[in-house]
Amino acid sequence: MIAQTRAELLKIRSTRTTLGIVLGMIALILLFSLLSGLLTKAPNLTSSEDQRGLLSVGSTAGVFSALAGIMLVTSEYRFGTIRPTFLFNPRRSRVLAAKLAAGLLAGIVFGVVGEGLGFAIGYASLAGRGIDYNLDAAQTALLLLGALAGVALWGALGVGIGAIVRNQVGAIVGLLAWGLIAENLLFAFVPSVGRFAPVHAQDGLMGLTSRHLLPAAAAGAVLLAWTIAFALAAAALAARRDVS
Amino acid sequence: MAAPAVVSDGLSKRFGSVLAVDSLSFALAPGTITGFLGPNGAGKTTTLRMLLGLARPSSGSALVFGRPYSELDGAALQVGAVLEATDFHPGRTGRNHLRMLSRAAELPDSRVDEVLRLVELDVAADRRVKGYSLGMRQRLGLAAALLGDPELLILDEPANGLDPEGVRWLRDFLRAFAAGNRTVLISSHVLAEVAQTVDKVLIINRGKLVVESSLEQLTARVGGSVRVRTPERTKLEQALARERIEATPINDHTLVVHGASSERVGDLAFAAGVPVHELVAEGSSLEDVFLELTSEPQQ
Repeated sequence: MIAQTRAELLKIRSTRTTLGIVLGMIALILLFSLLSGLLTKAPNLTSSEDQRGLLSVGSTAGVFSALAGIMLVTSEYRFGTIRPTFLFNPRRSRVLAAKLAAGLLAGIVFGVVGEGLGFAIGYASLAGRGIDYNLDAAQTALLLLGALAGVALWGALGVGIGAIVRNQVGAIVGLLAWGLIAENLLFAFVPSVGRFAPVHAQDGLMGLTSRHLLPAAAAGAVLLAWTIAFALAAAALAARRDVS
Repeated sequence: MAAPAVVSDGLSKRFGSVLAVDSLSFALAPGTITGFLGPNGAGKTTTLRMLLGLARPSSGSALVFGRPYSELDGAALQVGAVLEATDFHPGRTGRNHLRMLSRAAELPDSRVDEVLRLVELDVAADRRVKGYSLGMRQRLGLAAALLGDPELLILDEPANGLDPEGVRWLRDFLRAFAAGNRTVLISSHVLAEVAQTVDKVLIINRGKLVVESSLEQLTARVGGSVRVRTPERTKLEQALARERIEATPINDHTLVVHGASSERVGDLAFAAGVPVHELVAEGSSLEDVFLELTSEPQQ
């Protein structure tokens, strides 16, 4: 299991795909953090919830860690390396578990880089514009750790999505369509249900309080439950499906 | 006899209404090289996928060293296999492809260097696979299969894309491999590709086993034929028919005679007073036998 996880981590590191995803993430977070930090009118950055909004822009890293997780599984199917992978380790549930672990570890790196960058820019914008920082230490810790945990879980969730869908384009389109469109519509129209969906669970996990989000602990449990549910579904399918 | 390396027992695979593999039973003895032959679409790859735990049999079983592949411990140390010559991430170097596999099998990185040298790919090892020729990819696949120094090697169409030199290299390699009482199963749709390599052949057609024999037995089935050119074709045909020898006219003055030696045909022609302008013994090739065995039955 540890050996397989090391193999999976090498797969992540040994192509340029991951580097591309990381650079994309950095560019996007840089852009969004600078835009909201510098262009938002000062009165809209004073409340603690406004500041949480600004300082959590880095949690967009979750989209990218999910992409990395998806790629870790779907490139194997796309390029056929799944065959040697399963020939070397025919116990598919163990391969999947190793990929989930690798997705989680990669997610931690994405979270540290992404949220670290977003927080630094947001904090610097507030300081530079002379706006008082309104979050206490506990709130700040929840924001940072919540973002980190959320982004890490998205890495594993991406592995689950990839293992269920297997088709690379399908998995990526599915992720973006759900995360950027469908879930926002769901939350906008039926917030009592939408707050249980994974993207909004991550918002709750970081201590965001606006609208109808779940409290942090419950939100964390919900996001973890999503990850486990996808992992179990992926394991059940992996055991049954033939590899062409 | 030592326990067989592979036992297939009534192995079948159904895709919808198509029975791709139909009750296939065979065993591979250690130390042998077996050619797994059949035309494209005969069910060879599907059979190999079931042997290797990638596909589940619809019925029957396939055991490798006495167990289903999916239950082998340290599978890579017992079995090496290459199913597709293209199973690489194009953006990953050859060396990293092998490293990720050696890590999964808990093999040292030094083993990666060894197999790279073995397949003569050490110079290209740090280039991305997208720049590899098909022959280099074949060798990289083989290197991956050899990482665990396995007892059984299963190769699907290994000669595809190899140049003649590569084919000879592969043949010598497999001979040396099997000499250590290790077992090889190689599939091909071209008998000639493996005829000089294998001890035994399994020929399948439409998912069914049609021949299981040693290469010598198969060669013995090869009947020679004799091509005769004569201005008096009909007269020769009649002379042959009296001796119950079968002959097929090719054109007005050429005849192909089956099941008789060139001496016999020459003597008969002389006795019948038929002038012979050309007399050629044609050894019908193994390939002809193979094609005959695997051709579609005429409806």
